[in-house]
Formats: sequence, structure tokens, C-alpha cells
Amino acid sequence: MMSFLDRLFEKQARSVAQTSSRRGMLKKLGGALVGATAVPLLPVARADNHGGPQKPVEQGSDTDCDYWRYCAIDGFLCSCCGGSANTCPPGTEMSPVTWIGTCHNPADGRNYVISYNDCCGKSTCGACLCQRDEGDRPPYRPDKTNDINWCLGTASAAYHCSTAVVVGVAFEE
Amino acid sequence: MLSRCLWLGMAFFGLMLAPATQSADVNDARARYHYQMFCQGCHTPDGSGANAVPALKNQMGLFLRTEKGRGFLVRVPGSATSKLNSAQLAEVLNWSLDNFAGSSLPEGGYEPYTEAEVAQLRQQPLQEIENYRATVLAEIVATMQ
Repeated sequence: MMSFLDRLFEKQARSVAQTSSRRGMLKKLGGALVGATAVPLLPVARADNHGGPQKPVEQGSDTDCDYWRYCAIDGFLCSCCGGSANTCPPGTEMSPVTWIGTCHNPADGRNYVISYNDCCGKSTCGACLCQRDEGDRPPYRPDKTNDINWCLGTASAAYHCSTAVVVGVAFEE
Repeated sequence: MLSRCLWLGMAFFGLMLAPATQSADVNDARARYHYQMFCQGCHTPDGSGANAVPALKNQMGLFLRTEKGRGFLVRVPGSATSKLNSAQLAEVLNWSLDNFAGSSLPEGGYEPYTEAEVAQLRQQPLQEIENYRATVLAEIVATMQ
């Protein structure tokens, strides 16, 4: 009985060894791994792109006043104060009440709706003062002016720095 | 017989849905953009408001219960004196009602604002809003009791 099993396995092993190579095994395994990652991506990626939020192509540094999202900003850049263009530094609270405008993104040629939420609750940051004011209106147009303190929806009205959050794509008539 | 029942059923559901689909001429992308540009800064992305900024969410539909209240939504400074033309203002008001008013809408839906109605109402922008708002709301509460 044992010799029968021995012969059987020896025959099988030799036949595998004669008809396949170790590299062939690697090739097939590699192909399967790459193929398995590519196949589900194809339809899923297409479905994901359809109608979802359109993200801007990013170019430039958010610590530079020249950065595209800052086209209408007037204040200290949170990205120089321990936060980022989207987030407040630790210890401050983002005001939900804010002023909103559009900026042109040269990297993808589109206009985006930008919300300049102020970070509040600490004294002024003092770093990276940036004043570009495109589309800024006098205070008699209160929703489109950057000259007022926008720390209006927070517990404290102390202004620390400003963010520039992309909230949408401008509608082109 | 079965198909007749189905048709009757569909007609019945169609009638139930009718009030909610009255403002079908709202361009969602355009209305959303105008909301973002001219309302969202204070009323916040989901209409919740903050501190002294009144909530639209589950509230603004209350104003449709009286004529004064219906006029109020157009005559508040943020609406009446905005840069939007009257067609755009009517659209963004209808869009906000559809998206934020929720449970505050009158049962059976509402009559959407039209360009002509908005154009006329915004000729009288409100000035002392807080007192006027309290009066309008008191009258609305009285109709609900």
C-alpha cells in the first residue's frame, strides 16, 4: 500500500516538475495578483467618478499667499499657524458663519466655491498675513466683505486665522 | 382586473406625490450654487444656522402658513436685497424649502414661489426684522392652535 502511494506521488511530482517551471509559477501568481487588483477597479472607478463631488487639481503650497484658493482672503493663513487650508489649529474653533466666494484654479481651469471659515478662540496668529481681496465688497454688502470679523458663530469672537475650504464647483450659466 | 387595480393604485400614489413635485423647474446645480454663494455663509451648509442666525432646517416651512409669513421669506434683507434676480431668488427659495423645510412644510405641500411674486414682494424689504419676525410667528402659532 505504502509503495503504491510512494509511486503515485513520485509520478505526480515528476510530471509537475517536467511540465512547469518555478518562474512560471511566479508569473502566474504575479499575474493573478495584479489582475485581481485591476479588475474590480475598472467599473468601480467609473461609477465613482459619475456625478460625485469634483475635486480640484492641486498645485502650489497652501502656506503661500499666492495659492489659488486664497484669491479673496484677508487674514493670517491657518496653514502657517498649526492648521491647514481646511482645518483650524489646535485650541481654536472654526466659525460655521463665514463668507463665501469663488476662485479660479489655474491647474484645472475651473472655478470653485471657496468658504473662508475663520478659526476663533485665540488671539491673532500673526504669521503669513495675506490680503488679496478679489471680489471683496464694502461692508454694506455684508455677505461679501472680508473686512468684518467672521467669528460670529463661535463661542469666542477672538480671531486667530483664516482657512479656505473648497465647498463646491461654480455653476456656469 | 389586476391591471386596473394597478393603474388605480399608481394614480393614487401619483396624487399623493403631486404636491412634493410642484417645483419641478428648479435646476438643482444652479440653485445649490446660489444657495452656497448667497445664503450658506450665514445659514450654514445644512441650513442649521448658528448663534443669532435663524435655522432654515425644519423651520422655514412654518412661514408658508400665512400670507405675511410667505412674504417674510422674500422680504428679509438677505433675500430682497441680494444680487440674485427674481427668477433666481424664487428658485433658490423653492430649492431651500425642498431641501431644508422638512417637517415644517404644511401638509399637502406648498405652492412654489414664482418670479413675478418674488419681484413684487422684494420691492418692500424689511428693516426691523426681529420684531416683525416675532409678530409673524405669533400669528402663525395662533393659526395652528
